[in-house]
Amino acid sequence: MAKGFTVWFTGLPCSGKTTVSQIVEKEIRATGRNVEVLDGDVVRTNLSKGLGFSKEDRDTNIKRIAFVCKLLTRNGAATIAAAISPYRAIRDHARMEIGNFVEVYVRCPVEVCEQRDVKGMYKKARAGEIQGFTGIDDPYEEPLAPEVVVDTDKEAPGESAQKVMAKLRELGYLGEGETAEGGEGVYTKEEEEKVKERLTNLGYL
Amino acid sequence: MRFLGGLRRGGKRRVVVVGLDGVPYSFVNRMIGESVFSHLGRLFGDGSWKRMNSVLPTVSSVAWSSFMTGKNPGKHNIYGFQDRRPRTYDTYIPLSTDMKSDTLWEVIGRTGRRVGVMNVPVTYPPREVNGFLVGCFLSPDLNKATYPRQLARKLSELGYRIDVDPWKGREKDKTPFLDDLNEVLSRRAATMFYLMEHEEWDFFMTHFMGTDRINHFLWEQMELGEGPYAAAFLDYYRKIDEMIAGLVSRLDGRTTLAVLSDHGFCTLKKEVYINHWLVDGGWLVFDNQNEQSIKEIDERSRAFSLDPGRIYVNLRGREPKGSVAPGDEYERVRAELAEGLAELTDPDSGEQMIEKVVKREEIYFGDSFDAAPDLIAVPRRGYDLKGALNRPELTHKGELVGMHTFEDAFLFIRGEEITRDEFSIVDVMPTVLSLLRVPIPSDVDGRSLVD
Repeated sequence: MAKGFTVWFTGLPCSGKTTVSQIVEKEIRATGRNVEVLDGDVVRTNLSKGLGFSKEDRDTNIKRIAFVCKLLTRNGAATIAAAISPYRAIRDHARMEIGNFVEVYVRCPVEVCEQRDVKGMYKKARAGEIQGFTGIDDPYEEPLAPEVVVDTDKEAPGESAQKVMAKLRELGYLGEGETAEGGEGVYTKEEEEKVKERLTNLGYL
Repeated sequence: MRFLGGLRRGGKRRVVVVGLDGVPYSFVNRMIGESVFSHLGRLFGDGSWKRMNSVLPTVSSVAWSSFMTGKNPGKHNIYGFQDRRPRTYDTYIPLSTDMKSDTLWEVIGRTGRRVGVMNVPVTYPPREVNGFLVGCFLSPDLNKATYPRQLARKLSELGYRIDVDPWKGREKDKTPFLDDLNEVLSRRAATMFYLMEHEEWDFFMTHFMGTDRINHFLWEQMELGEGPYAAAFLDYYRKIDEMIAGLVSRLDGRTTLAVLSDHGFCTLKKEVYINHWLVDGGWLVFDNQNEQSIKEIDERSRAFSLDPGRIYVNLRGREPKGSVAPGDEYERVRAELAEGLAELTDPDSGEQMIEKVVKREEIYFGDSFDAAPDLIAVPRRGYDLKGALNRPELTHKGELVGMHTFEDAFLFIRGEEITRDEFSIVDVMPTVLSLLRVPIPSDVDGRSLVD
C-alpha cells in the first residue's frame, strides 16, 4: 500500500486554497494515486452541516475534517484538506491526529483576498452583515512552521501547485518520478541534465 | 524464398515496422536510382510507397508520438522535445509519462497479441506492454530503458546501444562519429534479429535514429556531392539498405512489412533565433541583460518562443507574469506577431524565411489543447527556427547543416496498396491496426490507408 498523507491548505478566505488544491489534486491523481478532497466549503454542506462560525463551531468543523483525514491517510489515500482553519492550536491538533501531515500556508494579503471576494463575503463582513469573518473581525493565526508557503498574489496557481508537488516528492510521499503507470523513475536531476545536454547538442533545445 | 509466398490465408497475421528517422521520400527515390538503395528499390517494387506529411512542429518527438497514437498533439500532449509546465515558465522534457494516449502497441497488446518495440522516440520511461519494449534515446541508462526490466541484461550482452555520442558529430574530424554511427547500427540490427528470433511477437517495430543524426551533421556534403564525408554518408545508407534486406530475408509469408520516416530533411541555410526577433521588437523583455532561461522573463513581455517555431503569448491568468489580456488583446497580439513573422527576411539575401504562421486552433484539438503553443511558425526550406535565448544576431549557421521538412516523409507497405495520395503520419497507426485486423479506437484522428 502506498504511504498515505494529508496536504492541509490553510489561509484567508479567497486566498486561493481551493484553486491551488484542485491543481495539486489533478497532479497527484496523474501519478496514479487515489486522492480524496475535503474542501471547507463543501464539508460545511454535509459533514459539518448546521455548524456556524463561532470559535467552538469552527474547531468542531476542523476536528471533523481532521478525523476523516486521519482515516483516509492511514488507509493509504492521498488526502487534501482545504479550509480556512484560522487557529493555530486546532491545526496543530490536526497535525498530531493525522501524522503524515503537510501544512501548506496559502499566503495572500487580505487586501488582495478582499479584491477577489469570490462570493461577496468580504463585502458583507465590511457592511457588518457577517460577524466573526476571518481577516476582518476575526483573527487568522499564521502557521509558524508550515511545510510549504505559497504566495498566491505573486505566483500563478500552477506555480504554487508545483511547490507543493516538489515538497511531496522531497518528503517521500510521492516517488521522485512516480508515473501514471506507477512505474519506473523518470529522471533524477543528473539524468535530466545529461539528457538536456544531449538534446542541446543535437540542436533540439 | 519464404517471403515471396505472399500472405498465407488463415495464418495469424503479423506486422513488422521499421522507422527510419528523418529520411526524406525524395532522397530515397533518388538513391534507389543511384543504386545506394538497391535492395530497397526491389523491395519497394513489391507493394506501395508514397510521400507522407509529418506534423507541426516538425520534430521527431512530436512526429513519432503522432505515429504511435494516431492522434494530433492536442490529444497526445507532446509538442516538442521541450515544453513548459502549464501555468509556469518551468520547462521539462516530455516523456512517455506525459503522453496522454494509448499507443499502437498498447492497443495491439490488449487483444492478446504480443508486441516488441525498440527505440521509438518518447517511449522512455518504458510503459508496460504485452511483450517487451526498449526505450528511446531519452533513456538515461539502458538499465532503466526496458520493459521487462531484466531484458536490459540481455541487451547489454548483445552490445546494444541506445544512441550515438552526439558530441562526436560536432568534432571537425567526423571519422569517430561515423564509426560510432556504424557501430550503433550493426548492434541494433543484431539485437533486432536476435529478439525477432527468440521472442514471440505479432507486432515488431524497430526505430533507427542514426539516419537523422548523420543527416543533421552531414546532409549538406551529400547534397553538394562534395566534402570529405560525402561518400561515407552514402556508405552509411548502403548499410541501412543491407540491414533492411537482412530483415526481409527473415520474414515469413504471413508477415507484412512497413517502412516509414517521420519527416523530411534539407540543407540548413541558417538558424533563425525567434526570441532574438521578439526581444528586438519589444515583444520579449528580460529582467537582466544575460538571460539564460525563460524564467527570467519580465512581466512586460508579450510573447516568447520554444524550438522550433512554437510561439507562446504571455497571457494574463495563464502565465505567472502574464501581461496580455485574453480576448481581443490576445487576438491582436497573435495577428501582429503572425504578420511580423511572415515579413521576416534573411538579412543577407533578403529572402523570406517563414512560409506561414498557423494559429493553434487551426491544427490542434483535444484534451491537451491548452498546452499548445499559441502560434506555430512554419519555416521556408533551409531556415531552422530556434528558441535559443541570448543570441547576438537574428541568424547564424553553426555545426548543424541539415534540418527537418514537413512534407517529405514516406511510407512503404509491402504487398498492399496505399489507397490515398494525401495523408500524414497520424494515418499509420490505424493502418497497422487494419493490417492486423485489430479494431481502431474511436478517438484516433488518422484513417487507415489500406482496404
